[in-house]
Amino acid sequence: MGVQLPFPTPQIEYSLLLPVLVILGAAVVSVLIEAVAAESLRRTLQPLLAFGSLAIALAGCVGLWDQRQVVAQGALVVDGPTVILQGTLLILAVLGALLMMESRVDPAGDPFAARASTIPGSADERGFGARRQTEVWPLFLFAVGGMLMFPAANDLLTAFIALEVFSLPLYLLTGMARRRRLLSQEAALKYFVLGAFSSAVFLFGSALIYAATGSLDFAGIADAVSADPTSGLLLSAGVALLLAGMLFKVGAAPFHQWSPDVYQGAPTALTAFMSAATKVAAFGALLRVMFVALGGAAWDWQPAVAVIAGLSMLVGAITAVVQSDIKRVLAYSSVAHAGFILTGVLAASPKGLSGSLVYLVAYGFVTLAAFGLLTVVRSPAGEATDVQQWAGLAKKSPVTASVFSLLLLTMAGLPLTSGFTAKFAAWSAAWGGWQTGVVVIGAVSSTIAAAFYLRIIVSMWFSEGDDAVVVALPGLGTRTVVGVGVASAVVFGVAPQLLLGLVDGVGVFLR
Amino acid sequence: MIAVFWVCAVLSVAGGFGMVFSRKAVHSALWLALTMINLAVLYVSQQAEFLGIVQVVVYTGAVMMLFLFVLMIVGVDSSDSLVETIRGHRLASVAAVLALLVLVLTMINQATQSLALNIVPTGLEGANADEGGNVQGIAKLLFGRYVFAFEVTSALLITAALGAMVLAHRDRLTRVPGQEELSRERLADPATAAGLPAPGVYARHNAVDTPALLPDGSIAENSLPGALVLRGTTHDVREEVAVTRAAELASDPKQAQEEQS
Amino acid sequence: MTASPALLVAVPLLSAAVLLLTGRRSDRWGHWLGCAAAVGSFLIALNLVLSLAKQPHESREISQTVWTWISVGGFNVDVTFTVDPLSAVFILLITGVGSLIHIYSVGYMEHDDNRRRFFGYLNLFVAAMLTLVLANNLLLLYVGWEGVGLASYLLIGFWQHKPSAASAANKAFIVNRVGDFGLSIAVMLTFVTFGSVAFPEVFAAADKASSTTITWIGLALLLAACGKSAQFPLQSWLLDAMEGPTPVSALIHAATMVTAGVYLVARCHPIFDLSATARGAVVAVGAITLLMGAVIGIAKDDIKKALAGSTMSQIGYMMLAVGLGPIGYIWAIFHLLTHGFFKAGMFLGAGSVMHGMNDEVNMRRYGALRTAMAVTFGTFAIGYLAIIGVPPFAGFWSKDEIIKVAFEHSWVAGGAALLGAAITAYYMTRVMLMTFFGKARWADDAHPHESPAVMTIPLVVLAALSAVGGWALLHVVNLETWLEPVLGHGEGELPFSSSLLLPLTLAVVALGVAAAWKVYGAGADIPVSAPRGSWFIRAARADLGGDLFNEKVLMQPGQRLTATLVRVDDSVVDGAVRGIGGFTTALSARLRQAQNGFARSYALVMVIGAVIVALALAMVRFA
Repeated sequence: MGVQLPFPTPQIEYSLLLPVLVILGAAVVSVLIEAVAAESLRRTLQPLLAFGSLAIALAGCVGLWDQRQVVAQGALVVDGPTVILQGTLLILAVLGALLMMESRVDPAGDPFAARASTIPGSADERGFGARRQTEVWPLFLFAVGGMLMFPAANDLLTAFIALEVFSLPLYLLTGMARRRRLLSQEAALKYFVLGAFSSAVFLFGSALIYAATGSLDFAGIADAVSADPTSGLLLSAGVALLLAGMLFKVGAAPFHQWSPDVYQGAPTALTAFMSAATKVAAFGALLRVMFVALGGAAWDWQPAVAVIAGLSMLVGAITAVVQSDIKRVLAYSSVAHAGFILTGVLAASPKGLSGSLVYLVAYGFVTLAAFGLLTVVRSPAGEATDVQQWAGLAKKSPVTASVFSLLLLTMAGLPLTSGFTAKFAAWSAAWGGWQTGVVVIGAVSSTIAAAFYLRIIVSMWFSEGDDAVVVALPGLGTRTVVGVGVASAVVFGVAPQLLLGLVDGVGVFLR
Repeated sequence: MIAVFWVCAVLSVAGGFGMVFSRKAVHSALWLALTMINLAVLYVSQQAEFLGIVQVVVYTGAVMMLFLFVLMIVGVDSSDSLVETIRGHRLASVAAVLALLVLVLTMINQATQSLALNIVPTGLEGANADEGGNVQGIAKLLFGRYVFAFEVTSALLITAALGAMVLAHRDRLTRVPGQEELSRERLADPATAAGLPAPGVYARHNAVDTPALLPDGSIAENSLPGALVLRGTTHDVREEVAVTRAAELASDPKQAQEEQS
Repeated sequence: MTASPALLVAVPLLSAAVLLLTGRRSDRWGHWLGCAAAVGSFLIALNLVLSLAKQPHESREISQTVWTWISVGGFNVDVTFTVDPLSAVFILLITGVGSLIHIYSVGYMEHDDNRRRFFGYLNLFVAAMLTLVLANNLLLLYVGWEGVGLASYLLIGFWQHKPSAASAANKAFIVNRVGDFGLSIAVMLTFVTFGSVAFPEVFAAADKASSTTITWIGLALLLAACGKSAQFPLQSWLLDAMEGPTPVSALIHAATMVTAGVYLVARCHPIFDLSATARGAVVAVGAITLLMGAVIGIAKDDIKKALAGSTMSQIGYMMLAVGLGPIGYIWAIFHLLTHGFFKAGMFLGAGSVMHGMNDEVNMRRYGALRTAMAVTFGTFAIGYLAIIGVPPFAGFWSKDEIIKVAFEHSWVAGGAALLGAAITAYYMTRVMLMTFFGKARWADDAHPHESPAVMTIPLVVLAALSAVGGWALLHVVNLETWLEPVLGHGEGELPFSSSLLLPLTLAVVALGVAAAWKVYGAGADIPVSAPRGSWFIRAARADLGGDLFNEKVLMQPGQRLTATLVRVDDSVVDGAVRGIGGFTTALSARLRQAQNGFARSYALVMVIGAVIVALALAMVRFA
């Protein structure tokens, strides 16, 4: 029989955990609402709860502005980057939720299947008509909660759980599109299987790192890395697998192949949220792991990250050239963007950190708006995502065409848009030394990338269109999303100081 | 301890291979159980008794049995095609996995060789003693250092439950008719008033998937359970009936003449 | 009162915004708004230049910082517009010629449904081009650079219903990307080397950088210049760009945008001053292009393409001059201005001809138009005299100086410039003769008529400038002294007596004219010089044999040469450009195959990715 030792009460800094706790708490309440409220009530209650909790969390996040502390027994860190990333995620979540609520563009209803369990094409499915599956809201909130945790996680175990918490709801939501449901379900299954595979790789990597350093804490790993160079190879093996697992989430090549299929299959509103927010969360966590835990071993991992960054930029840009579906074009461009952000990670310096953060913020809003805009161009069969269907769009809706052109040009990194600011921030960090080569690859691929962005713009302005394709008038939500994206593209481009100053002001990761 | 490791490690890996290569889902599940039991033994041999027991109880006992139940109820057969359609895929997969394996193993080996003398499997003896026992030690970690992660796993479980609901359950669009209504409906129609014929019982087939034969020798399709018909797993008896009929007619020419006229 | 340089950019930009955003609502008055914006910015430019002239000679500069765009650590990029003597001549050229072309377009585009949009793009172009020349740092210049590229692209493809126009727009875009890539590399190199992209700071520190770096920056800038100015090897897009409406060809692809490359090199001359290699490359590019463009000019029957070849060639002259160092900068800019006058005038003249001939562009369907279109003919003729360099027309003053400084540099450069002058005389005479002289070879439904006043007045103004502009710039404005504070001044030495140069040039030009006359003046009822002419007429009147002889001996070798050059241009250079595109597309299709939709195959690729990562990590340790 063991000896009874006094057990110290774990200390949880509830006020500092407010954003995460509010969102996860709201998710649980949301599940309860599903259980007890009538459908008509749920339809109003769930979005109210979601927006309310997001607002409170955002306010809480602002309140954390100058907090620098390790919290919850060392599970999470609240520091400058955490606050920036959580704030960005929460705003992206608000915008994503606005898109999820949109029910004006599609005469069939909101973006999600009336009942995901009905067999596609069955009489049962038709019977549910335009009704809504309100379970998407708790799932969405769980995903947001996990995303908030991921970049704040201070040890590999918490990071892994956060990863799963936000991934699992996303797998589910991916399969719940109202239109083209078979494609959606296929995408969900692929995402799930490959995601599980990458999680396993992540775990394997964590185990090897634990074996090498005797710690799961980032600080502990960092100490071991700097103290004991002999464990190097074991550590390298662990880092390789950990990287492989995390690069899957950020969608870097060659771990990117799920993303075009999933982006295309998922309901576009969700794709918009996912493409922006997952990238922010996963890159936030990647930055923390690489800079805090493995900062001492930067010489080891930089070549690997350089290879992946170069591959991502080239593969993303080159493959996008022959795509005929705009969602896939955007998916490949997000692969290229992952490479661009990795260029900032590669720098392994405070400048690299702020460059990557700037890129994430700039990219997040623009890509969300671009996907949001995809939902309004429609053919009788649903969203018109074929590039050819977008031909001549400028004649039908000059505003839509102009806005989309602007968003594409921003992604291409045209000066005076936020895309340029982002590329400037990320690349100037990596320029100098051998990383220069990667930046040059970046310049080449952004030249290629501009070709396919321009191809879409040209076909919108210079081609004759298909009469069956119409531009639906979206509701206030979608308009807000697009407006915020455009505003961010212009404001952060014309006055990049706003963003650069904000990010520079928060400082570096707390150890 | 080393001997236990080599036996259980080999067995658990073998279980893994068996799971992947089995053609039948049930076999896969059983192979997986083998892996898990061996892992449990490994845990116990390292003085992680609690973990070992939990492994057996939860995984082997609860989870695997649930798997098996589901497999049996859903009745997954091995009809999925296992033919590889992508040219060279299997070869490439084996090569890639081997490459990764060799690479990672080489790295681990290089690292541990340089530390070879320092590596002695220590087990959890020391840790258990420090914390006043294995269970106490785990409790301390789980409810101390990792309490946040532990609590957040509940989000994972809720999501899983919710996901299962979303994917499987849907509310009814129409009211389900009650028993009274059903019997009224049945009695209203003279054809079904006496109840449906029971499935057939034969010398060779004695099961619900075989249709009954009516007195005139014709096959009564409505004697079969609807679910089986939908799934397409009913027994086709037309040929057998035809053969039997032919034999009967051959032995009784008079009846054959009647049939012909 | 001095106007604000930012206002200069803002006026056309606002007008473009109004025209493009209000849509059909502004159809009725949109073109007049566009014209007003152009004329307004011309007045502002005039005001600025006059204020500038009042300042002391050595330090003329008007700067306005609109806002600080980027400020990180010690690195600042301001949006600052600077008017100095160099940008002053450019803003006058851009807004002045721009205004004339705007006015001309009111008539030329009268029957086009999208006239308003056309004016919007034109205004956009003017704003971007002004940004380019007013920028006081490379990054802002890059913004303008991309802006003119965009506007040019939109305007080449303006008649998008024509597949040829759409593909021409694409070609222009792709080729220009190569050039833009050069510029972005130059910006990055400059930033890394000097920690700044502002011209004053960079130029002040230029001599402290290593010569290799300077050479690379120079070469990257040259690549950018080649793309925008259609110089060898990136020249191919310009000929296709003629698919755009003719005023566009006049404004963008003759007078202003294509000269941006020359401007870039002149603006960055402190860099080029320090690198003989980079200067040598500029000279080589200029010399090759000036000959190539001229030869292409001979081969084309399409009047606009013949003029486009000529534009390439003339810009080649400027590049050549600008590569010669301090002795050449001023003459390059001088030629740029006179070229802006006469080439814009000739393009508008060509447009006027097309306007009267149902948009026919083939010169073989012209002939004898001098009576039907008297004003057009007169103005075109002045432009013609200017371009071949007949004194005292504008081109004479500038081209002569370039030939002179080219000889001061080397025999090769001088020879190329002189040979170019001969070919120029030849092909321009050919254009003249085929269009305005000889027999009418009109299509049946052609009823040539003079264009309306709104079109001919700009022609007359430009013709006047072509006539006296060169002399006036040199002797009234004193361009040489005006530009000296910015571009410096150099003296060279001719390898032969300078009194020989003028007769030599004129003789060469006369030779070119005569040769063209012999071939294309043949069947025409124009008096030709007696002895040779009589032989020529005899041979021509006697039988087809004479024609055949002409064909065989005089025409065919030339045609073969031109055909070969054109083919080289089409296959090798274009091929390379298309090849890059094709390679990318092919690779893309290859990569797309890997995206086969099977999760197991994706998992395989992920494992391969993990191997790559592990390998990269292991390499560091094992290495």
